[in-house]
Amino acid sequence: MSLPSRIALAVALSLVCAALLIALSGHDPFSAFAAMAEGALGSPHQVGVALNKTTPYLLAGGGVALCFRAGVINIGAEGQIALGGCGTAATALAWPIEAPLPAILLALAGGALVGAAWAALAAAIHLGRQVHEVLVTLLLNFVALLLVQQALAGPLGEFGAGFLQSPRMPAAVWLPRAIPGLDAHPGFFVAVVVAAGLSFLLWRTRFGFAIRVAGASRPAAAYAGFSVARLTWGVMLLSGALAGLAGGIEVLGVQRRLIEGFSLGFGFKAVTVALLGALEPLAVVPAALFVGMLEAGALSMQRQVGVPSSLVAVIEGLTMLFVLAATVRRRAA
Amino acid sequence: MRGIVRCFGAVRANDGIDLQVAAGRIVGLLGENGSGKSTLMKVLFGMVPPDEGTIIFNGRELSGHRPAEAMQAGLAMIHQHFMLIEAMSVVENVMLGWPAAGRWLKRARVGQQIREASARFGLDLDPDARVADLPLGRRQRIEILKAILRGADLLILDEPTSNLAPAEVAGLLAILRRLREEGRGIVFITHKLPEVLEVCDEVVVLRAGRVAGRAPVAGVSRAALAEMMVGRDTTTPHVPDARPPGAPRLVVRDLRGPGLDGIDFAVHGGEILGVAGVDGNGQLELADTLAGLRGATGTIALEGTDVSRASVAERMRAGLAYLPADRARTSLVRSMSIADNFFLRDTDAFLLHPAARAAHAAALMATYDVRAPGPQAVVARLSGGNAQKIVVARELDRAPGVVIAHQAAWGLDPGATRFVLDRIVDLRNRGAAVLYISSELEEVMAISDRVAVLFGGRFAGVVPRATADLGRIGLWMAGQA
Repeated sequence: MSLPSRIALAVALSLVCAALLIALSGHDPFSAFAAMAEGALGSPHQVGVALNKTTPYLLAGGGVALCFRAGVINIGAEGQIALGGCGTAATALAWPIEAPLPAILLALAGGALVGAAWAALAAAIHLGRQVHEVLVTLLLNFVALLLVQQALAGPLGEFGAGFLQSPRMPAAVWLPRAIPGLDAHPGFFVAVVVAAGLSFLLWRTRFGFAIRVAGASRPAAAYAGFSVARLTWGVMLLSGALAGLAGGIEVLGVQRRLIEGFSLGFGFKAVTVALLGALEPLAVVPAALFVGMLEAGALSMQRQVGVPSSLVAVIEGLTMLFVLAATVRRRAA
Repeated sequence: MRGIVRCFGAVRANDGIDLQVAAGRIVGLLGENGSGKSTLMKVLFGMVPPDEGTIIFNGRELSGHRPAEAMQAGLAMIHQHFMLIEAMSVVENVMLGWPAAGRWLKRARVGQQIREASARFGLDLDPDARVADLPLGRRQRIEILKAILRGADLLILDEPTSNLAPAEVAGLLAILRRLREEGRGIVFITHKLPEVLEVCDEVVVLRAGRVAGRAPVAGVSRAALAEMMVGRDTTTPHVPDARPPGAPRLVVRDLRGPGLDGIDFAVHGGEILGVAGVDGNGQLELADTLAGLRGATGTIALEGTDVSRASVAERMRAGLAYLPADRARTSLVRSMSIADNFFLRDTDAFLLHPAARAAHAAALMATYDVRAPGPQAVVARLSGGNAQKIVVARELDRAPGVVIAHQAAWGLDPGATRFVLDRIVDLRNRGAAVLYISSELEEVMAISDRVAVLFGGRFAGVVPRATADLGRIGLWMAGQA
């Protein structure tokens, strides 16, 4: 069976399992799924919400896929997204510009820069001190979240707000609606273009070739004259910038202010989405859409049928397991 | 085995093969890389099902069987790479996966069985020794012992001598003779003709998935066997007479580092400097250091320019080609296509042009006789000889000035070996400087203009081939001169 059909089968199996769980909890699985579909696709507003939810997963997931392809297991998107949002908010508040387009670009660039800087710190520790990259990137997530908290408790915080959040962003940096009538900011479309770009990078450039060789065999990469350290820097900076951009778009397009925990779990979902898309940048698009729509539909399922929305986390987990089982490389006979 | 057919895609790996092994006989199975030997044995052992044909073993038909059932029926396969757990003792490895050892571990009882069998067949194995402490030859005996204790009537040995020292090979052949005396059948897969002549009763030669010839060993000559294998005569490659070498192209001074203890030499244009010696005396370190894969102190001058600090890519651009010994992970990416592997060391273009690459790859495949369904075929599916031809094509086709070849013909059949050596000699005749590192003394003596011996990280001696004396080289290799 080909890889795409195996992944489709894995997704179908996970939905069947979810249906069984819903039935066990005493609800009708079909009406639950119908409510979920309604919640994700029922109206232009709902479609917009689903696309907005998809955006950060897609942006960060593409970067994670690139890292994994190079054999660099980067679990640091969670912290890079949070700091990226923080960087975007800080830029927008510190340098207010009247004209929307330059204002938005500057703020997002600030976020991407902070995300890349956080990834650079991880790369420096990993390469300089030979600490395993999973450990470095994972632990730096917690530091990043605390840094954002610290910023909101201090210079970025809104005075007297009651909980940790920044003041509202100036209106110039709010992301506009992408298509009239559709309640979505342009982030999703940017993310699709980025995914296409990453696919081109991976399959049609020498840098992408080097990534694939390094992921398949480190000695072969050294023999081919690729510097594994330089490649690691490259993919880490790129994925850090994309994660930072994802955080920035979330702040400007959805929350319009920096709120503590605004991106909770995004970075780990990005890893899920990257693996769900078999580390293929273009295939990460449907994978991210799948997760984004599940989450957009979850609340409506809870409201209408009474199935707890946390079931969506179960479906995501099951899909992950099935997809990993379906894509595991068979040992050559 | 009768009329075995097995296809992989359009390739008929086995195309109607008959093979018969009688009890108490040793049958040598010969053939070039990719001729279908491994496939045939996998079919016999139940690792892949045949498309056609029948297998009768001890009067019973085997079909749709799996390796576990093959073992139970009395077949045993001894792979080139041993299936042993190094951290465990001999007795534990023997008990592993052996139902007759029982549910409870009876080390003493099995140890006694091992001692008895070991004495009977001259295996000289201590049941309590840890596998990690044993040399490769002993580890192979554990595999043979496992087969004996499990009551195997037919043993299949896949290139059993390729990792062994000469003394260990002699020991193995003696063990095989004793097994034959006990009435067990043996299939002996190898590339090495002298061993076939020494131990086999009959020989079956495969070529392109068919039986190219079968004969009793008594009265057949080495040249006749070689010709049966490749369909042509394979004598050693012809190195034209020594001629005044050109200017020095690779000059190495006082190279020191892990495994290297002060190496000095120069290789001139139009010269092959062969480096003999037992593996592990600095060969890998020397080759990798020259190619830029490891650091060391001392100077390396390429075409008169110091490249000691230059990167791998810079050395490549300066005209250095490198054929590494490790093809599984270094010189080839097994999970990638042939086309991708041809371009592994192509440092120029920023953008890849898949169509142009595929066309160029197809041309290289034709020139260098790489047999595969097409440029998009994955390298892991190719035989060892075809895979090495990809490396040879990639490294030698850009007409390098200096070639470092390390175990370039290791594990290749006579035809492929000849092909690789001929390409290297061609390049030398066109003025390249070649450093040919190999632990096969015969190969080194065949193609070198000068012969050096590496021992303990330094050159024990360098002599022109014309005046080389094998006795003296042997002493150098043993570190006694």
